[in-house]
Parts: sequence; structure tokens; C-alpha cells
Amino acid sequence: MKRIVLIVIALFFLTPVMADQPAGYPFMTFDKAMKKAVTEGKPLFVYFGRYGCGYCEKTNKEAFSDKRVKEQFVNNYILAYVDAESGKRLRLPSGERITERDVGTRYNAFVTPVFTFMTAEGRPLHRLVGVQRVVDFLSADSSVQKLLLEQK
Amino acid sequence: MLLSIATSIHAQPWEFTSAIDVTKVAGKDVFHHVESSGRRNIAVSKSVIAVTWEDNRDNDTPRIFLASKAHTEKNFTREITISGKGEAFEPSIIALDNDKFAVTWEEDAGIYARLVTPSGPGPILTIARDDAFQASLVWQNQQLLIAYSKKDSKYQRIWLQRLGVDGKNLIRLSDCPVDPEQAKDQQLYPTLISQQGLVIVAWEDRRPGRTIIMAAKNLQKPCSFTLPQQISSAPAARSSPYGKGHGVARVALAQFGINKVMATWADKRDFREGYDIYAAAFQPGAKTLFGVNMKVQDSFGEVAQQWHASIAGHDSGYLVTAWDDNRDGNANIMLSWLENNTWSEDIEAEVATGEGEQTHPSITLDSNGDLHMVWIDRLSIGGPTQLKYAFAKRVVN
Repeated sequence: MKRIVLIVIALFFLTPVMADQPAGYPFMTFDKAMKKAVTEGKPLFVYFGRYGCGYCEKTNKEAFSDKRVKEQFVNNYILAYVDAESGKRLRLPSGERITERDVGTRYNAFVTPVFTFMTAEGRPLHRLVGVQRVVDFLSADSSVQKLLLEQK
Repeated sequence: MLLSIATSIHAQPWEFTSAIDVTKVAGKDVFHHVESSGRRNIAVSKSVIAVTWEDNRDNDTPRIFLASKAHTEKNFTREITISGKGEAFEPSIIALDNDKFAVTWEEDAGIYARLVTPSGPGPILTIARDDAFQASLVWQNQQLLIAYSKKDSKYQRIWLQRLGVDGKNLIRLSDCPVDPEQAKDQQLYPTLISQQGLVIVAWEDRRPGRTIIMAAKNLQKPCSFTLPQQISSAPAARSSPYGKGHGVARVALAQFGINKVMATWADKRDFREGYDIYAAAFQPGAKTLFGVNMKVQDSFGEVAQQWHASIAGHDSGYLVTAWDDNRDGNANIMLSWLENNTWSEDIEAEVATGEGEQTHPSITLDSNGDLHMVWIDRLSIGGPTQLKYAFAKRVVN
């Protein structure tokens, strides 16, 4: 038991230095976000970034800082952050253990940032590549919500 | 263009025979992974080919397995479990003398190693506990050297452990950090190579606020290293006030020819087109450990994505890299080799192309210069996995 606690503590301390997500948003790991999305019946919004990514920082400052973006994205999606260079291991609902870097490979996060709207099961719905403005996020949210309504 | 392709196929120095299965196609909820720091998951001794990987077939616990076959055998005939009772990941393997192999791996946040001999595996030795990850190994002057990442106060730091071999047993000789200074940010995914009695260690380092590739050379004493130097160079600075620069990932090293070492890694300096495969050559005697960064892949790969670079060399001077690449619409394995100090056009490894995806290659060259490759085969993205192996005869001297 003590050993498990030590491992959990170690993983906790390993996590923050690998993340580059905007402050004030409830981003979580991809696997946890998938579980939560299934439970709550919400789609996923997945942010593929990396440590030191300039266009991620620009998007964080210029788009994620907007109150409307925050309100709509926190309300409409379960938010996941994936460091596309990280070796942190996740466990997907399929049971597969996979690193964040290989999640990035699977979803073709060949540049950063990439923002992918997905179903709770991980099926991509819409994708934004590179630096984003407030209007880009709001417009994409509107398109995805419309698409989800059509699919119902 | 057709002429160019025809010429490059004609000049291909390795000729593959058919792929064979290392494992069966995984059953439901079972996944194979060919992952290791430095991508050394296959090794070849005088008469044996050995492959190591992780899968979760055993009560959903990820464990390390090793399959082997004699050169003369058609199929992999023996398979053993390498790791202990914990959750194990990312095994690395190297061939020693007399058909012995050494394997190191990560298990429950520790690093372990053991020998595998013709008469069976030796005992498991603990290399490091408590937040130790990502091990790679090399065989030098009758010693086994293992580079790994271990937490030191706040960050992971690269360590090098030397081990002696006594029959089936490993004996710890020394264990020391490669960078004499305490880590200022994460040091991750090390690998190492032995060259003319020297040891070169390379790793990912996040000290500038982004990931770079760094290396250090071992000096005369076991725990004495040159100060780390950056291998991956930065392109001309952009005027953006944001970020710390481009990203790189997962360095691999190979020794080839006389006094030669090449490092290769995934590099995102061309930020619009994603990771490309880059390389840099070790410069013996020079102030700078590694030279100019070279793009390995050809221009046809610029609009595609490249991942999981592996590299292998031979004393005769052969040097080859393999990676997975989606330029043809799905992930296939590509090869490029060094010809007159330039990287060849990229050629698909024909045994690892086609429907589904072929990814995560690990390669090695045997004493004849013949190529051995293992990879993950999937009929669909996220679908059942299978390990495949192929042999390629050296056909050009």
C-alpha cells in the first residue's frame, strides 16, 4: 500500500512540469477525460500541446483568456490536455496503456497546438490546427454543437 | 521521377525476405508495445535473434517478454517472461558474447535488468528504485552499461550504471549521474553507445523551457563526464514573443565504421509540417561533441508525419534509420541509409507496408551487415496488435 501511495505521489509531481495548458480551465488527462465524458454524456475537447510551445502560449493568452470561450468550452465539453512529447502513461477505455506522445501520434497531432473536438468515445468531429483566435474557437464550438444536434 | 525511384530501388542495399510473426494477433483487450528509450527492442548474437516487448496478456498486467530463434530457424520458437510481478514497460535488449543477452526494463517506477543465457534467464537485479524510468543499455569491455532517468529532488536526472557479468549474474560496479550538476528541469529518455572505449550518453533535456537533445562523453574514470552539450540545434530565431523554441523527441544512437557515432531524433523545427527525422554525427576530438544537424528523410516526406526513429550501424560503415511515416496515406515503415555522407532517398520497407498501420520499428545490423527489424502491425488504427519480424540481406558492399 505504501508503495502504491509513493508511486501516486511520484506521478503527481511528474505531471505539472510537463503541462502547458491555460490556467483556470479544468483540463485533465485524456483517459480521465474520456471516462468523464462518457459518464456525463458530453463531447471532448482535446488540446494537444507540448512543453515550451509558442503557439500554445499565444493561444492561451489571446483566446483562452476570453470569458466567452471559457464559459462555452467549460460548459459544453470535457477538456483534455495531451503533451505530445510526454512519456506519461494513460489507460484508454479499450484497456490499452499508451503514452501521451502516442496518443498524439494516433490523433495525428503532428504540430502543436492541435485542438480536436471528439465524441466521448474518441471519434474526431472537428479539428483546429495551429494558433487560434477567440472567433475561431467560438465559431468551431458553434459548428460542433450544430453537428452534434444533427447527429441526435 | 520514375527514373529516380527506379534508380533508388536498384541501389537499395538490403533485400527483405517475407515477414514472420513474433506473436499471434492479440486477443481482445491485449496490446503489444515495442517501445524503449533508444528503441533497442531487437538484438542479434552469433547464432540467435532475440526480440523484447511489453504486453498485458497476463491478467491485464503489462509484462516484458522475450522471444528468440536461431538464425537457421524459420520461426520464433522460444518465449519467456522477463519482468517480475509488477507493471512493466519499455524493455531494451543488447547481445553479449556467447549468445547471451541482457535486458533492462521499467517496473513499478524502478529499473531492473537480467541476463538471458542459452541455459535460461539469470536473476533479476534492481538497478534503481523510486521514480526511475526509461532505461537503455550497451555492452562494452565485458561490462554492461545502463543509462536511465531517476528523480533527483525535483526533476528526473540521467544516471549511468556499470555492471559486471559473472555467469548468469549481474554485479553492480558503479552508479553516477551523467550531468554533474543537479537537473534544472526534466532529463528524460536517455540512450548510450560505446565507441573506441568511450561512452556517449544522449537524452532529452527540458532545461531551456522546451525539449532539446543533449549529450555527454564519459572520460577516463567511470563517473567522470564532459559537461553536457546540446546536439539538436535551434533554427534561426523567429520574432515571436511566445514560447521557448521548437520541440524534439526520442533520441537514438548507433555506432558505425571506425570512430563514428550518429544520433537521430524527431525534430519539429519545421513547425508547419510536424516532426521530421534529423541526425547529427559525433565528432571525435572536436570541441563540439556532435556536428551539423542533417535532415534524414527526403523531400517527399515533408508533408507527412514521421515518428519512432530507430538507427543501426556496422563496423564496415553501414548506417540505416527506420521510422514510421504516413506519406502514402497510412503508417508504413520507411528506411534511409547513409551513402557518401548523405542520407539516401527514403524507401518503404516492403514487408512493413500496406493496409492498416505498421509502426514502432526497432532495427539492428548483425556482424554480416544484414538488417533485422521488428515492428507493430495493426489491421486498423487502435485495432488488435501483432509483432512482426523481417530479415534483410545486405546485397550491396
